[in-house]
Amino acid sequence: MVNGYQATSLKEALKILAKESVTPYSGGTDLMIDPEEHATFLFLARISEMKNIIEDTEYLRIGAACTFTEIIENELVPEILKEAAAQIAAPAIRNLATIGGNICNGSAKGDSALILFATDAKLRLVSSRGERVLPIAEFYLGRKKTALKSDELLVEILIDRINLSNYYYKKVGARDALAISRVSFAAILNVADGKIVNCMTAFGAVSDIIIRRPDIDAMLVGKTTKEAKVVKKEYIAAYDQAIIPIKGRISAEYRKAVCMNLLRDFLESNGI
Amino acid sequence: MENISGSIKKKDHEAKINGSALYVDDHLMDGMLYGRMLHSAKAKARITKIILPELPEGYLIVDKNDVTGVNRVAIIIHDTPVYAEDTVEYVGEPILMVVGPDDQVVETILHKIVVVYEEKIPVLDMLTSDTVFFDYNYTKGDMDKALAEADRVFIETFQTGYQEQAYLETQGLIAYPQDGRMTVRGSMQCPYYVHSAVANAIGCEGKDVQIIQDVTGGGFGGKEAFPSILACQVAVAAKKANKPVKVIFDRREDMEFTSKRHPSLSTYKVAIKNGEITGMDIDVLFNSGAYTTLSAVVLQRGLICANGVYRIDNLRVGGRAVKTNTVPCGAYRGFGAPQTFFAVEMIMDHIAKEMGLDSLELKEKYMVKQGDSTSTSGKYHFHVPLPEMIQRIDELTDYRAKRKQYQQQIGRYRKGIGLSMFFHGCGFTGSGERDIIKAVAKIRKNPDNTVEILASNADIGQGLKTTFCKIVADTLGISYDRVYIDNPDTDRVPDSGPTVASRSLMTVGGLLQRAAEKLKKEWQEGKEQVIEEHFVEPDFVIPFNLKDFSGDAYPTYSWSVNAIEVEVDTLTATTKILGAWGIFDVGVPIDMNIVMGQMEGGFLQGIGYASMEQMDYNAKGIIRNNSFSDYIIPTAVDVPNLVAEIMNNPYTHGPYGAKGAGELPLVGAAPAYVEAMENALGANLNKVPFTPEDVMKILQGVNT
Ligand SMILES: Cc1cc2nc3c(=O)[nH]c(=O)nc-3n(C[C@H](O)[C@H](O)[C@H](O)COP(=O)(O)OP(=O)(O)OC[C@H]3O[C@@H](n4cnc5c(N)ncnc54)[C@H](O)[C@@H]3O)c2cc1C
Repeated sequence: MVNGYQATSLKEALKILAKESVTPYSGGTDLMIDPEEHATFLFLARISEMKNIIEDTEYLRIGAACTFTEIIENELVPEILKEAAAQIAAPAIRNLATIGGNICNGSAKGDSALILFATDAKLRLVSSRGERVLPIAEFYLGRKKTALKSDELLVEILIDRINLSNYYYKKVGARDALAISRVSFAAILNVADGKIVNCMTAFGAVSDIIIRRPDIDAMLVGKTTKEAKVVKKEYIAAYDQAIIPIKGRISAEYRKAVCMNLLRDFLESNGI
Repeated sequence: MENISGSIKKKDHEAKINGSALYVDDHLMDGMLYGRMLHSAKAKARITKIILPELPEGYLIVDKNDVTGVNRVAIIIHDTPVYAEDTVEYVGEPILMVVGPDDQVVETILHKIVVVYEEKIPVLDMLTSDTVFFDYNYTKGDMDKALAEADRVFIETFQTGYQEQAYLETQGLIAYPQDGRMTVRGSMQCPYYVHSAVANAIGCEGKDVQIIQDVTGGGFGGKEAFPSILACQVAVAAKKANKPVKVIFDRREDMEFTSKRHPSLSTYKVAIKNGEITGMDIDVLFNSGAYTTLSAVVLQRGLICANGVYRIDNLRVGGRAVKTNTVPCGAYRGFGAPQTFFAVEMIMDHIAKEMGLDSLELKEKYMVKQGDSTSTSGKYHFHVPLPEMIQRIDELTDYRAKRKQYQQQIGRYRKGIGLSMFFHGCGFTGSGERDIIKAVAKIRKNPDNTVEILASNADIGQGLKTTFCKIVADTLGISYDRVYIDNPDTDRVPDSGPTVASRSLMTVGGLLQRAAEKLKKEWQEGKEQVIEEHFVEPDFVIPFNLKDFSGDAYPTYSWSVNAIEVEVDTLTATTKILGAWGIFDVGVPIDMNIVMGQMEGGFLQGIGYASMEQMDYNAKGIIRNNSFSDYIIPTAVDVPNLVAEIMNNPYTHGPYGAKGAGELPLVGAAPAYVEAMENALGANLNKVPFTPEDVMKILQGVNT
């Protein structure tokens, strides 16, 4: 027997969350792996406020309870996120698994979370006490640790409406379907008037938290491609220091080598 | 295509689609208890003390002291204890079973048990083993002379790893006492193997034991010997409790503690004179694990295949299966052959490169043909269809042209193509069929003119019920619906042998065909008639002698050529399979859908073995790859372009011309894959699985 509440509005859900110890249940594809036996679940799939994908002047807003299938099929969603979502698991899982669950499980292997790091997305966290908006990098505190309070829900993901079309993405899994990332890399680079206006990179599945280092990426910003080439060595060396893969079934050496290869390829594909 | 090859609705189709098929875990019995095993946490230790918690009413502990017969499992050699005695020899060795009415409580009790071990230093690496379980040697021609006269000698060692069967249904059995007898039912390939093991362990006569196979969710060899072990443990528990006891392994338990393919190290010394291969001196090492189980026969098959499909006049083959403090290895589709076929195909490839030839050219030069002598001085009595298979592969893949084209590549993506040729010896190795199994099969015509097949072979998903019924129906000239077969029950069926060695259809199907022919002649409307047939070795067979490995190890062979094309991403060291093609000769397919299912599934398993299925133990002898997220097997998406084709080559002595099909498709995938990787990477490779980490090392120029 599974105990739970089938909330139909955000308000109702937050009320339950405020007064009872319940586990938010979105697609359940992470929760089902190691089910807590006596847990009471708060089912999120019917909360309409968490199922929208809309654009306003500032952001693309994706409801946390949107499944990957819904994300892939929505025309507002940028290609980089669609490509990553399409490589998650297999169709049956994608029909259930949600973007919110992918973030809230706190894993550095989350394939959609990687894209949200690379795009400096923000998370709208709501409780019956109020709400706050947190940059995704501040949401992750450590391995499987997040800043989510026990009475909070992740309701929406906010992605800045900047140009995301010039992107680089690669997931390395153990096989071509139903595979958790061993290494993943996403990057965006925009050039305007001959100058790099933004460079955003993120490395997944190598550390406890997805690696996003705007301070290193800043080395390239404001430069022409030619100028960027001059600092390329330094830039790569900085990442070489920053990326320290934790030990796992797959060797740290392998994962490091893949990260550096992909980083170089990303630069080369942009003429740097 | 022959008439019989047309596909038909499988006998088990309806029940499996509508959910009425009952697997062992679906069975509930009155008063049934649940058992869970306490497995050793140490690779080698003496058990000094076992501290048990207080047991609630109705719960009991079952261990070595409860074995009323012999505390040994009757497999080939009786060395596997039913329950551990004073020592444990591998992580996972069963020490005792907790039994009781509530599974959760059983689990809780299990966690409260404290075992005090006096640890010893385990032997994990087969190279450092000091116990040789089996040691076989055979020769042909004069190897010493070939080596002495050689102008070059190639030496290389090849390595293969574990492979886990990864059947969908984990191991599981129920045992229950009834009227002074013991019944064991569940997931298994070989009811009569289980039968003798249980009688031996509980110490009763064969007539007091009944074994029933339930619908079985895959075996691949993993349910050949292991169910005998589990059956003894469960039967002992049921006897003590005097109630039904059910044990179902969870996935981790199954992956960590049940048999898998033997890891191997094979060293080839090849003598060359005047550009000709004049001899092969081969040394094979298999890691048996802690007990012997099936290692003797797995090693025999591996050694017999050691020179591949090549005519090598001077041959010396030696092999040992050695003990280590690791999980006992056992049967897995191919049964020792994938290991040595990998090695011989790779050494041929490497020799060819040294000679400046393409490997196919060299292989074609030495390929056997009908009438040639086998490694054991037997004979290839029948047509060997390798030349037309190679031609067909070349038509399908443009192999020869691609192989050249891919030799020098730069850039991020690099392609490669590889080819392997191999056989699978059909049926038991040597004289086992004649001297040990002595198969008996029956058919019974009922008064209503329906016909029942009585045989001990198990349908484990491979389609045996369907093919058996097709043979009998077609021979009798009656409709397929009037012929039926139930899951074997040793109270009802004779011992037609185990469901192994690609033998069931060829050997037992042959007996059934003969029985049906006889029944047809003697057919009497409305009467019950029973026809029984016994195995007779075909006249042409040159008797096999195990002492010196001489004679026909197999009456006939199934043949195959595989080609695999890959594309390596040099940035990520990952590999995409662009295509996998297999041409298979299994004689006349008795049902094309079933045979294609076998070919595609087996081929994919072989590709997994070659590329991604990695399993290893750590310094303490613990296998960590014990779940489907850690032990990666290929999915359909990983090899989208997998092509299997059948080459019809009827076997004169098989039913409708059929021979062995089950194992063949797995046997040669690994060398085809690794040859393709060599072609892409421009390096000599010598191990499987060949993983992205291995590729990365080659790309980085690290010596491996
Ligand atoms: C076979 C298989 C393959 C997989 N492959 C991949 C893959 O390729 N890539 C990948 O990234 N992941 C993969 N996963 C993991 C999983 O599918 C994803 O992480 C998915 O996004 C989780 O979403 P969910 O809705 O199912 O999460 P759930 O299981 O419902 O929840 C996960 C966690 O987040 C919490 N939570 C969920 N939503 C909220 C919310 N709105 N507010 C607060 N807390 C919340 C839950 O309480 C729980 O702790 C795979 C899983 C399986 C079973």
